[in-house]
Order: sequence, then C-alpha cells, then structure tokens
Amino acid sequence: MSTTTNTSRLGSLLMAPVHLLMRIIDVPLRAVQKATGISGMAAFFLAPNMLIFGIFVLLPLVINFVYSMTGGTAFFLAERNFVGAEQYSRLFTCGSYLDPMSCQEDAFWTAVGNTFWFVILQVALMIGVSLITALILNRDLAARSFWRAVFFFPVLLSPVVVGLIWKWILQRQGLLNFGLYQFGIEPYTWLTDRNWTFAATIGVSIWAHMGLYTLILLAGLQAIPKDLYEAAEMDGTKPERVFRRITLPLLAPNLLVVVVLALIKAVQIFDEVYVLTGGGPGTSTLYLTQYIYETGFASALRNPGLAAAASILMGLVLVVLTLVQLGIGQRGEKKGKR
Amino acid sequence: MGEIKLTDVNKSFGSVHVLKDIDLHIKDGEFVVFVGPSGCGKSTLLRTIAGLEKVTGGEIQIDGKRVNEVTAADRGLAMVFQSYALYPHMSVRQNLAFGLENSNMPKAEVAERIGEAARMLEIEPYLERRPGQLSGGQRQRVAIGRAIVRRPTAFLLDEPLSNLDAELRVSTRAELAALHARIGSTMIYVTHDQVEAMTLAHRIVVMRAGKIEQIGTPLELYNTPANRFVAGFIGAPHMNFLSGEVVEKEVGNATLLIGGSHRLLVPMSDRKLSVGDKLTIGIRPQHITLANDPGSLRVKVRLVEALGSETVIHADLNGEKLLAVVPGQRQISPGDDAHFSVAGAPLHLFDGNGSRVKG
Repeated sequence: MSTTTNTSRLGSLLMAPVHLLMRIIDVPLRAVQKATGISGMAAFFLAPNMLIFGIFVLLPLVINFVYSMTGGTAFFLAERNFVGAEQYSRLFTCGSYLDPMSCQEDAFWTAVGNTFWFVILQVALMIGVSLITALILNRDLAARSFWRAVFFFPVLLSPVVVGLIWKWILQRQGLLNFGLYQFGIEPYTWLTDRNWTFAATIGVSIWAHMGLYTLILLAGLQAIPKDLYEAAEMDGTKPERVFRRITLPLLAPNLLVVVVLALIKAVQIFDEVYVLTGGGPGTSTLYLTQYIYETGFASALRNPGLAAAASILMGLVLVVLTLVQLGIGQRGEKKGKR
Repeated sequence: MGEIKLTDVNKSFGSVHVLKDIDLHIKDGEFVVFVGPSGCGKSTLLRTIAGLEKVTGGEIQIDGKRVNEVTAADRGLAMVFQSYALYPHMSVRQNLAFGLENSNMPKAEVAERIGEAARMLEIEPYLERRPGQLSGGQRQRVAIGRAIVRRPTAFLLDEPLSNLDAELRVSTRAELAALHARIGSTMIYVTHDQVEAMTLAHRIVVMRAGKIEQIGTPLELYNTPANRFVAGFIGAPHMNFLSGEVVEKEVGNATLLIGGSHRLLVPMSDRKLSVGDKLTIGIRPQHITLANDPGSLRVKVRLVEALGSETVIHADLNGEKLLAVVPGQRQISPGDDAHFSVAGAPLHLFDGNGSRVKG
C-alpha cells in the first residue's frame, strides 16, 4: 500500500514541471485559438514546417525560375538582366532536330541523350536484377537474413563513397585489373573506354540502389499467400506458368511502384557518376544533373540562367513521373478500401 | 476409383515428430473426417496424402499404387484449402479453368466442365466476377468447383467451412453432404469441429498428438469411445468424468464408489480389475436426470443455462464438476441442492491409462 502511495507521489513530483510547462504553453495557445478558431489551429501547427518548406524548397524553386529568365554570368540576381524565354529558346535552337550536335547547346542535348539511354537501360536492368534477387531471397535459403542484408547495405552508403569504392576497383591500377592480372589477362583502362564507362555507371548505380527495390519486391512476394502456390502445385502448373500467371500479376502493383521510383531516381543520377567518371571520357557519361551543375557553377563561362532553364525542364519530367507515382498510390489505396 | 491406403506413415519436421505410425484404409466413395484438437497433425496428414508434404516413413497407396514418390499433381487428387486459395486476379471462370489448362485440355471440354460444375454449385451468375467481389459462401463454392472440374480420384478438404459464419456453416455442411451423395467420390475432410465430423462422416478418424486414437462411425465413437480422450472429444457438451474406485467385485458385476459416498453397481466383465482399483467413470450430460431420490447423487448447483427446449445445469459433486442437460424448463437456481440420477444411463469406464474398461 505504502509503496503504491510512494510511487504515485514520486510520479506526481516528476510530472509537476511538465504540468507547469503545459500551463504556461496553454496561455498563448488559448489566445491563438480564440483568435483563429479550431481550423486556424491546424494552420498554426503547420506553420513552422511550411516555413522551412517555403524557405528551402518553394523559394529556391521560384528563384530558379526567375534565374531561368535572366542572362549574363553575374551570380547575384540583382546584377542580372531579364531576357525572357531566351535561355529556353537557346536550349532548343538546333540546325536539325535529328542531330543533337547541330544544336547551339549540344552539351545539353548530349546530356539529355545520355540520360535517356541511361534511364532506359538502368531501370530495365535494375528491375530485372532486383526481381531475380528478390525471387532468390524469397526461397528457403540458408542464412536468408544475411543475404538480404548484403544486398541492402549499399543503399546505406553515401553516393560519394559508392563512387570512390568503384573507382578503386575499376581504375587502371585497381582491384579488377589486379584480379585479371592473376589470371594472365592484360590490364584494361575501363574508365577511359567510352562504352565500358557508360556500362560502369549503369552497373554501379544498380549495385548502389537495387537493395531498396529488391526489398520492396521481396515484401510483395512474401505477401502472396503460400496457398496459391500449393493450389497451383496440386493442379500440376509448371514453374514458368506459375511465375507468369500468378507471381507476376500479383506482384504488378509493387513492380509499378519500383519502376516509377527507379525512373525518378535514375533521371537525377549525379553523385556517384561524378565521382567515378566525372562525366568522361569526353561527354560519354555526362548526364543532365551534371550538365546543369557544370553550366551553372563549375565551368569557366558559367551561365546560371541556362542551367536554371535546363533544371526547370528536368523538373517538369520529374513532375510528370511523380504524378504517375501518386496516381498509382491512390489507385492502390482505393483498391485496398474496396 | 478412390481407395487410399496408409501404412505405417510417419512424418517429422526436423526433430518434431508430427505423424506417428498412421495406418488407415479409406474405401472408394467413403466420406472420412479427420478430427482432433489444433496441432494434432490432421492437416499434416491430409497434406501428406495430397503430396504437398513428403512422408519420412511408411507408404501411401492410391488405388493400389504406391504414390510416395509421385508429385502432388500426378496423384489425381484435388484439394480445397481453408483459405480457398482462389487466384484473386482471375475471374471465377479463369480460376476454374486454370488447372485444366495445364493439361492442354481442349477448350470445348474445359468450357463444358466449368458449365457443369457451375450449374451444380449454382455459381453461374458469378463466373465473370473476381473472388474479391464474392461473399465468403460464394468463394467457398468456387473453391469446391475448382476441385470438381478436375474430376479427381478423391477430394481433400482442409477445414473448408471454418471461415464461414455459423449459419452459413450449417447450410453449407448440408450442401457438402448432398454433393458427396451426388458425385460419390472419396472425400477426406479435416476439421476440429466435432459436430461437422459427426454430421458429415461415414467414418471419423480421431487424432491426438500425431496418433490415431480411434477410427469408427460417428455413433461407434459416441457410444463406445476407445479411450477417455475420444469420449471427451466426441459429443457436445463434453462427457462428464468422475473418479471412482472398485469397492466390491463379483462375477460380471462390480460396485463402484463415486463422489465420496455414492455406491453404483455396474456390469463389468474385465477380469484385470480388482477391489481398490481406481477408475474414471464417464457419463454424457444428456444421460443424467433430475431425481428426488435421496439415493442419487447429491450435488450443488453452480450455474443454470436455460435454453428453452432444454436446461444445462452446471453442478459440483464433492469438488468434481458435473454437467447435466435435461429436457424442458426447470425451476432451479444456482446455490440450490439437487439430486442427479444416473440410473439406467450408459456409463463409460476408463482405467488409469484412460483406456476403455469392458463393461
């Protein structure tokens, strides 16, 4: 009995400052509520987040748009002159739309072309590799958790670290050449060959990101009831047909999510490639984000306006992809409710 | 044909021995129900017959052929799963056709079989719907339909009614019995519900801890349970068990002392028993009557459940629980003293190991 009393006494003693604090906070909150009403309180609580969002996301977006309407090399907006849509028209000025090299900003179109092929190949391969990995991890494998972790760990690495690791492996005096040399194969300059470098950026980015997609697909696979497979087994269904008629359709919602997420991520590819190849050799691995960065900040003749215009165009692509993703999410929610 | 024979079947998952020396002969066309508490191995037994689990010992024969090494698909059996296992992304028609398409059956025959099963199960209006758009009962029919279209040697049903509500369960149970009468195939049915077992089965297999406790017709199990476990499992409410002692023994008869003071003369031909032996006496609640006779069992009433057509009385006999189900409505309240008579009631005697003692 006395223990209980002591405990409750200790509790109320500890809670006393909390109660005091609540009472102090209560005063201004009541005043705000009186002034704004209940619905106003929601806005009041959202305000700090909206402020941060406004300063660090919305404002830069607007400033970026304004930059895309200005010209010159000056960095501060006040020193820049308004040029209207000139930067956009510069991006789209081409001798022939079939030949990117005839465009005034050929580097932009090279970057667009590189990014396009990178996105197509990387996403297709990424889905294939993630799906196969997920299917293997979904089996009764020895040390399954270990393998799952092995495939997921690269996701936790910083992209710069990923780039450095692979540079260390692929450079002329790197691990790969050392390994090949042991088998009597001549070392090769992987990172100076156009095709190999392009392939390396795809391979490295798949390695770095596949863990997340594998995890999403694995979760989808594990959500498919085992009974369905047993029913198919009783019916004598061949494994290939089970995969095509049962696994794939039931995994479709997860696959769609993975495709869209991978697309959004692939369009923005930058860090690991910048560290690994720097966009080279030549412009063979120059992707859109790197083009924007270099045009705006790094090149000798920097042109923030042009970079801003290119980033707005890239942003539009991402908006479309994000809308698709949201659409899928909402469709999934509706299905879930039904 | 659909004769299934299990000889000395054993199954272990690692070090866990889940099926122990199962011997069972199911005749063609028979409706056999495996019943037992959760974890007794009844579902595992069904799955080993289906071929979804491999036996670790013994032999399974279907129509005289050893099938231990035969895949689930080639055993010619069809299974209805507890969850129904319908493919959610396919229409009912596609669900029914899926298994048939595996064997490259001509389309016309697939359509004919689906039509026939749909008519039989009255699911024709739903053929183009998906399982998600059907009620539990309709899904259940589709699951059975998927088994029927395959025209299997035997049907294996794993707790097929457990996901239905009580009312639907009763009507579906009757439909299942009618369906069996109509198609006449062997059916093996797993349930933990002894009422389902009693109403559906030709023969019931009672299982406990991986072993078969008794095989028999529903009434055989009810009237002459082989041991205390079967006696307690079959029949609702459960049988009463009272401890007793042999106090006198003559040829063909014995006098037992129950409830501390009550003497009961019972016929007993078992010669192994002698005076002083402890016994368990089983009495079904329906066989107890209320009496005014001071010579009957004097009990304290603990709880009364008036069900209208009958009254369930929970009572206490010198610390032992005793349940009586008496017809009609009775003026009796908790706390009352009452007299229970077991005169003329079929008594079941079990020895210290729980085995039945010959009466």
